[in-house]
Amino acid sequence: MNTTFKEENKDFVMYFEGRLDTAAAPKVEQDVAPLNDCTGHDIILDCTKLEYISSSGLRIFLAILKNAKPKGSHVYIRGMNDDLRQVFAMTGFTNLFEFK
Amino acid sequence: MIDCELTFLGFSIYAWITILTVLSIFFVMARTRIPAEVAFLGALTILLVTGVVTEEEGMAGFGSEPVVVHAAFFVIIAGLMQTGVLYWLTKNVLGAPKNYKNALLRLMLPTCVMAALLNSVNVVALFIDAVKIWSRKLNIAPSKLLLPLSYAATLGGMCTLLGNSSNLVVAGLYLHKTGQSLNVFEPLLPGLVLTIVGVMMVMLLQRYIPQRESAEQSFETTSDYTVELLVPTDNPAVGNSVEEAGLYNVKGGSLVEIVRFDREIIMPVPKDEWIIGGDRLIYAGQINEILELKRTHGLAAADHHVWSINDIDTKRRMRTAYVTFGSDLIGRSMTQCDFEQKNNVALIAVARQGRRVEGQPREIHLQAGDTLLLECPPKNDEQLERNNRGSITFFDSHFVPQLGPKTVTSAVILVLMFIVSSFHMLPLMATTMLAAGIMMLLGCCRMTGVTKYIEWELLLILGSTVVFSVAITKTGIADIIALQVLQICGNNPYIIMAVMCLLASLVSEFVSDVGASAVFFPIMYQQAELLGCNPMPFVMLLMLSVTISFASPIGSSTHMLIYGPGSFRFTDFARLGILMHIVLLAIALLIVNLLYPLY
Repeated sequence: MNTTFKEENKDFVMYFEGRLDTAAAPKVEQDVAPLNDCTGHDIILDCTKLEYISSSGLRIFLAILKNAKPKGSHVYIRGMNDDLRQVFAMTGFTNLFEFK
Repeated sequence: MIDCELTFLGFSIYAWITILTVLSIFFVMARTRIPAEVAFLGALTILLVTGVVTEEEGMAGFGSEPVVVHAAFFVIIAGLMQTGVLYWLTKNVLGAPKNYKNALLRLMLPTCVMAALLNSVNVVALFIDAVKIWSRKLNIAPSKLLLPLSYAATLGGMCTLLGNSSNLVVAGLYLHKTGQSLNVFEPLLPGLVLTIVGVMMVMLLQRYIPQRESAEQSFETTSDYTVELLVPTDNPAVGNSVEEAGLYNVKGGSLVEIVRFDREIIMPVPKDEWIIGGDRLIYAGQINEILELKRTHGLAAADHHVWSINDIDTKRRMRTAYVTFGSDLIGRSMTQCDFEQKNNVALIAVARQGRRVEGQPREIHLQAGDTLLLECPPKNDEQLERNNRGSITFFDSHFVPQLGPKTVTSAVILVLMFIVSSFHMLPLMATTMLAAGIMMLLGCCRMTGVTKYIEWELLLILGSTVVFSVAITKTGIADIIALQVLQICGNNPYIIMAVMCLLASLVSEFVSDVGASAVFFPIMYQQAELLGCNPMPFVMLLMLSVTISFASPIGSSTHMLIYGPGSFRFTDFARLGILMHIVLLAIALLIVNLLYPLY
């Protein structure tokens, strides 16, 4: 599981690659730390190369959202595959996030 | 004696400090949940700081005979346990008796003998599980066998110095005072008579032994205590924390676990854990009230129940444990401490005296002897037990060792230890240390981590008791009380003995036999000297009278051990205990005076 952080057009973009399962979650949690300081920036979570997301992965996404909202930042999810879309639909996360 | 000009009611200021300290110890032990060792060390600190005792006197107790012998004995017991001697004994002595009377004999006679050799507390601790299983096999309530077990162990323990901790304390104080050490079998004759009478009393008065429902039976089906509810995808709680959503502490219960859509388990659940659609929320408490959440919070019934005690998921384990005396959980509820988080367990239900306690389990203020149904991780059983020694004891705690040549070796070491010390070839302290050393050298007991078998709390208590004795003598309290009692009771040594033994045994009912013996020893010894009598009958009577405190669970360490597993009530011990206390005290007075001449 790899993550890459980039700043694109004033947006904070985090690229996820591989399987975000329970085992990978603790490291990813550290990797997404740069998103904490997002005042004045929107966040894009790029899932184009994300193959799988577990409940621990969803918790990380939710934590990013919970942190960004009070700062006025939007959190967008980009490029989800069908499996991920299904997980988001089943868990009610489709209603929580915005999609690009 | 300390010279001090200021006196009040005949006692110096140092004497008053000592009296107040001793009284406050008694109060603290009887009425609060401060651990005994902390109370004793606190008292020692007060006596040191106020100058009642010198540093040397204060610390002398920690190197005294009772402390060293106990420490060495813990290692010997560990060796006997690890090599399977004790396991073999528990398996082979009980057998299959025909009726309750036979069962009592099969249980009490070997317990008496073993307690005399291995210390009453060790024997009761060892037998509890075996007796519980046995009681189920015989279809007898565990309480009907556990109480006789405790009596038999204490009675048998009276026969040797090693049998009860207080015997060693008295022997240690005697050594300190006179320089003479007592034979390990010194109390054998009077102890034997009391044991025979005591066992006969239990047999004759067996109908006074209370019948209490077994604690585990109150938790027969876990499904009665837990309910699983599903969070629908469109539930407004999704994305909120369990606390924000009002789903953490609910009417009649609390959330003990979340099972995520991918089978990940969150247990125990922190208040700020987020809810995700598809979560199965598992609640413990009053099921009918918790089911209201379907209506109030839009939760759905899960399609099947995950838990039942017979069909436990491999990822979870239900274990029952009881709250031990002196536990830090007493008086607190799970919401007031971090027990669940620290141990990664969840409290499902609480039973008290064989009945389930109504209401939300997490809000229940726990009491000593309460039985807890805990959901535990599937692994690290031993670690969980080790971390919580002194707080809770698990019912399924089992250590089954392999039998082999070392079993014989360690048994031989034990027998030799008794032969050597009974013929006074070596002092008791040296003998027990030698036996512990040989146990380790011959591989009967693992050397690494050997100190973890030692119950340091008990050693601290034993070490600090000596200082009470020193302070009571030094400040003149022993002299004054001894004289006062002589003035009130006249110069008849028999009456004085009877009064002092009655007092000592009453105090030990409410405090501890060890504490009572340390306080009464200097006074009784002084009385013997003032009367010009042989101190031995006084010493022997003190030894016996502090251990016959059968009527309350506080005074007896063995009663404390069986209190939880037998689902006893506080007053259960008094039914037979008061009568035994009176009869055995009278017999002790008679027999000791027949055996030991006063002049």
